[in-house]
Amino acid sequence: MNLANPRKANPNKNNPLFSWLDGLALLTWGSLLLKYTITGQYKLLIHPNYYGLVLASSIILLGLGIVKIKLTLAHTQQKNSEHIALFSPGFSSSLLICVAIAGLMIPPKILTSQSAMKTGVRDIPLTRSQPQSFRTVTKPEERSLIEWIRTINAYPEPDAYKGQLANVSGFVLHLKELPDNYLMLSRFVITCCAVDAYPIGIPVKLETSRNTYPPDTWLQIQGAMIAETLPIKEQVSKTTMERRSVVLAAKSIKSIPIPADPYGYK
Amino acid sequence: MNQLHIAFTLFLSLLVEAIPFLLLGVLLSSGLLFLIDEKQLITRLPKNPLLGSVVGSCIGFLFPVCECGNIPVARRLLLKRVSPSVAISFLLAAPTINPIVIWSTWVAFGNQPQIVIFRVLFSLAIAIIVGWVFSTQKDTRLLLQTSFARRFDSIIYSQSENTEGKPLLLQSGSFILDGGQVLPFNNSLLLDAGQNSAALKSKGQFFVDNLLQEFSELGGMLVLGSAIAAIIQVFVPREFVLNLGQDTITSILAMMLLAVIVSICSTVDSFFALSFAATFTSGSLLAFLVFGPTIDIKSIGLMASIFKPKIIIYIFTLVAQLTFIFTLTYSYFF
Repeated sequence: MNLANPRKANPNKNNPLFSWLDGLALLTWGSLLLKYTITGQYKLLIHPNYYGLVLASSIILLGLGIVKIKLTLAHTQQKNSEHIALFSPGFSSSLLICVAIAGLMIPPKILTSQSAMKTGVRDIPLTRSQPQSFRTVTKPEERSLIEWIRTINAYPEPDAYKGQLANVSGFVLHLKELPDNYLMLSRFVITCCAVDAYPIGIPVKLETSRNTYPPDTWLQIQGAMIAETLPIKEQVSKTTMERRSVVLAAKSIKSIPIPADPYGYK
Repeated sequence: MNQLHIAFTLFLSLLVEAIPFLLLGVLLSSGLLFLIDEKQLITRLPKNPLLGSVVGSCIGFLFPVCECGNIPVARRLLLKRVSPSVAISFLLAAPTINPIVIWSTWVAFGNQPQIVIFRVLFSLAIAIIVGWVFSTQKDTRLLLQTSFARRFDSIIYSQSENTEGKPLLLQSGSFILDGGQVLPFNNSLLLDAGQNSAALKSKGQFFVDNLLQEFSELGGMLVLGSAIAAIIQVFVPREFVLNLGQDTITSILAMMLLAVIVSICSTVDSFFALSFAATFTSGSLLAFLVFGPTIDIKSIGLMASIFKPKIIIYIFTLVAQLTFIFTLTYSYFF
């Protein structure tokens, strides 16, 4: 584990190359975070609440990087006589630089149905264990997919939503336990960062087979809510149980490009 | 290829979330160089190891940082010759026992106040117990990772040398001339910077140097830790972990495992836990909330920059056992 050599004997200790690497690591990371905030790609990685934090960090990192480069140019900086790291000097910075450059070149990927199947899709995700009273503010047809799930969670009475109009967008997920003319219209919800993203979804009843809409296609679906008894796979016990749930009976289905902010946030 | 790209995205998302907090921690740690007079700190801290751990676990109230930010601060405390029991208690408690985290837990679980209260109590108890256990080791250096111990040594050594009153120029080492005064060019400068007026001019520079050095070193550790966390996340399905938890005992274990894998920041983990409120017992949610902030894969790399691997394993084992026992007890009473 310990890669460190006794550095007193190391003539490269004050090698200016390492100062350059340190400065470059700061600059590349500053640019990467700045790129994410400017392009909006940060939304694919973390909760938008962190926008300010990421922006501030990118500015501080860029500032520090400039200071470091200036110090290196002026040869004035004082190195601590002993390094603390596990790595040999320069390794840590090189690693940071490589990751930042890779990040600058490769855009973040939007999570797909494949990840959804791994995480396990939930139709009851945003729930408090004791739902509080809920007043609908938005009109049903203006609710987003996340708002629908939230509403249904707060008042889990499928038959209460019968006939309400809906107009929602999300990506297609095929669940084996559902009959062939049903698909799940899903979105990922992020609590903090993409690592904790989990999919939520609402079953959609089609007039045709779901194979018309392959998984990961983004759809805008208009229709009306109905209540039906469907086989739902339990999260924990893995058993499939018949359960009454809210289903969107599709009237018009439109294929749409992947939106700029494909995730829902909590 | 697709999976790899997703792993890379998750890896970046961990880093983008953690780097601002790491930066905050490093800023705090470098600030401590000047803000805290270590002689005063040592005299004010209780000598009793148990009281020391109690104080250590409450320092988090002063530094509201999560698990990436608290490691630079703990390192700085150790270099300021704070006893390891205080530093370890701080390390374990700070991510939970701080105003931001308590507030966010309250927002998420306000309707189940017992979860908020026991999260604080259990974390506090675990931090104090583990800190106390490690206070039995009198020689701090035996706990520390080799090169960190060397730096620790050099600071203590150079300090004792200075106090002997030996003329500076007779000592070995490099020196700088600052306004006609001779200063040894070593770590004691860092320590004395707070008091030595001759070094005042260089204060800013030391601050920046320390900041840069700590950031690039800990940043490298964070990169490795996040890479491992992202790979596990992609290749071990979360459903697999959740399926492990069927009854009281296994659900606690499953949520602890999930806490380690997800590596989520303690300021928001309660919202994440909330989404499991419907499917999991409150005892296992508590296990997630107590265990998660102390230990996760992302921060293991960072911890390895302070402690020997053996010590990290001891700390993890102790914390895991205590979390398990506490939350199991909780689930029998509530």
